[in-house]
Amino acid sequence: MKSSYMGQFLVIDLSDKTSETMPLSDEMKNLFIGGKGFCAKLLYDLLPEDTDPLSPENVLMFLTGPLTGTAAPSMRGCAGTKSPLTGTFLDSFFGGHFAPSIKYAGYDGIIIKGKAEELSYIVIEDDNIEIRSAEEFSGLGTVETLEAVKKTLNDDKFRVVSIGSAGENQVLYSLIGCEYNRQAGRGGAGAVMGSKNLKAVAVKGTNLVEIKDPVNFKKAVEKANEELKQSPDVQALIEAGTASAVDFANEAGILPSKNYKYSTYDKASNLSDIGQQKHLWLKSSACLGCPIRCSKIGAVRTGKYKGTISDIVEYESAALMGSNLLISDIKATAYLVKLCDDLGLDSMSAATCVAFAMEAGEKGILVSDEVTLEFGNVSTAEYIIKAVAEKKKGLGELLAKGVKRASEEINKDSSDFAVHVKGLESPAWGPRGTSGMGLAYMTGDRGGCHQRGFPVAYEAGGEEWKGKQLDPSGVEGKGELVASLQDAQSGTDTLTKCDFGGFGISNETYSELLESASGLKIEPEEFDTTGERIWNLTRLFNLREKIDPKDDRLPKRFVNEALSDGPNKGCRISEEDMEYMLKDYYRVRGWSENGVPLKKTLERLNLV
Amino acid sequence: MTEKKFIKTNFDLCTGCLICQLACSFAKEGGYNPEFARLDIIMSKENLYHHPVVCRHCENPYCMHVCPVKAIYKDENGYVLIDEEKCVGCGLCETYCPENMSKMNKKAKKAFKCDFCDGDPECVKACPTGAIELAAVLKEEK
Repeated sequence: MKSSYMGQFLVIDLSDKTSETMPLSDEMKNLFIGGKGFCAKLLYDLLPEDTDPLSPENVLMFLTGPLTGTAAPSMRGCAGTKSPLTGTFLDSFFGGHFAPSIKYAGYDGIIIKGKAEELSYIVIEDDNIEIRSAEEFSGLGTVETLEAVKKTLNDDKFRVVSIGSAGENQVLYSLIGCEYNRQAGRGGAGAVMGSKNLKAVAVKGTNLVEIKDPVNFKKAVEKANEELKQSPDVQALIEAGTASAVDFANEAGILPSKNYKYSTYDKASNLSDIGQQKHLWLKSSACLGCPIRCSKIGAVRTGKYKGTISDIVEYESAALMGSNLLISDIKATAYLVKLCDDLGLDSMSAATCVAFAMEAGEKGILVSDEVTLEFGNVSTAEYIIKAVAEKKKGLGELLAKGVKRASEEINKDSSDFAVHVKGLESPAWGPRGTSGMGLAYMTGDRGGCHQRGFPVAYEAGGEEWKGKQLDPSGVEGKGELVASLQDAQSGTDTLTKCDFGGFGISNETYSELLESASGLKIEPEEFDTTGERIWNLTRLFNLREKIDPKDDRLPKRFVNEALSDGPNKGCRISEEDMEYMLKDYYRVRGWSENGVPLKKTLERLNLV
Repeated sequence: MTEKKFIKTNFDLCTGCLICQLACSFAKEGGYNPEFARLDIIMSKENLYHHPVVCRHCENPYCMHVCPVKAIYKDENGYVLIDEEKCVGCGLCETYCPENMSKMNKKAKKAFKCDFCDGDPECVKACPTGAIELAAVLKEEK
């Protein structure tokens, strides 16, 4: 029977240079669908308890969804591993062209184990798997690496993921560059790749991704495209990607400024689509199969950073590498973000580490003879980013560990302004004034993350929740809101769908796409149940890996310091607020008061 | 005046989404893989440029001239087509097309190229931005 599943995983062991295939079971499809679901199940099953994330025993996976590589709009891939930054479950979604090529090579995912003897790269062409020396690529940036790999293979149709020097040096928040300008960014998957001595993976193939019911699939694709056209959010992304969110967040008083001290920035427009359109953008570009084209590719044409090819500086990076450092020159911000991408650092974590160091310097807590630690100083940011990537003795070594470990090392009350949840540096959305967003950070399965549930849309974006406007800064009903959003997100992340596609495409249409493409029938509301199953499984994983539920909390800055500016002036999320929301959330989830899933919950979800 | 339809490409509008290639491979091969598309998108300068490349159905088709078994021919509308039955899979058309628009299916050992979808190309219909569009050349009758 034709199906858009390829029916097997490719398992590569770098230690003994072997590879084998592992069949995709029906149970796996029925209970976990793909993408995030596969990631949660495989990681739980494959990893021995208490595995050191940077040891050969950890696994690094590149997973697809059942619609990846087809005409179903806006599908991506998922990198999965145990995070070296947080010690938690880690899934990191990436666009571009790599994930579809895994399907074209004949697999639903690639699972990499072990550690190569020397720096290596993997070449996959259908069932030919080769592990080659990458010694000659040592120290190259992510972009140089992918281009060097293509040149060596003499075929630019290979799709490549690569790490930069940061990943080679196992900086804890290293990313994996997914050609081009796409990253498996958060949580340090690049450090895991570096710990395996794996510089790059190149894939291409000659398999067709087949469709069970072409007539109905075509109809479902047309419907999905129509839903994208009808969505004002999607239309805004077609116009200006996420950059316009800078001005929105500034007006809503949730834009981080000066290491989250403030929530507004008077030069926000310099960093938003307004500034970017003027100084950077030349045209839209897109991931494979995506009509939304949220990327706005361009170049810095003049000045100190001229010649830098820059994709859109998306919202998180524009805020964290811009307003949060008090840098208002978009050309400088674009350069710094590109520098991170190429050295192979998560620009969100890197920028937050820079902000932390700047504040520690201004407070006299951190003294450096390397550089002047002060907000607004672009050269300082550039210096720190480069020093971190090479783990240079001093600031580089210190900040390569992330703000949590760095603040523990410096001590002197620096944890007051170390902004992270479970070690993952926080995203750029409030959360003071949008307390549900705070709860989402507290309970995110990979630490402080905005992509596992996004209450801001309901708290500051004007959307109603179940027919009612929620009190943005209140705590009532936030447990149910956050749990529902997390389940919905996890459920459709099994498809590896892009969040932006999900802004327009309904679950009903995802269900139709899935059934016509693969034969797997998942009712529209069943995605939420699948999401809940996954969310409980990742919780079980995190508990097994000794992640303490006491760490389901916000950084001190959001708890102790009320905002002194903007529309949310006076807002904070107090200890009592956190306790109320968390208790409510655990109850809604069917977890114990200590945040442990109850047996009856696990039974209901087919997890025991 | 006679009119010959062709596919006009606009690199400035191409986003590199490859939806055209997906549509093409599905129409011609019954499944998705850009490798089997009859058109290509060349990406360069770190993804800043995307150049759609399509078969021009040349006046003077190299692919047709080099085919040793005359499997490639021009139809009455001027489109350059492959007769799969006759194709022996020698690969000369692939070697000599300067735009790499005749390609080999290594598994099937047959060449494949754009057949213009009976005048209504799937790639054009699928393109979300107008980067590839249907156009016509007008010629004086001789």
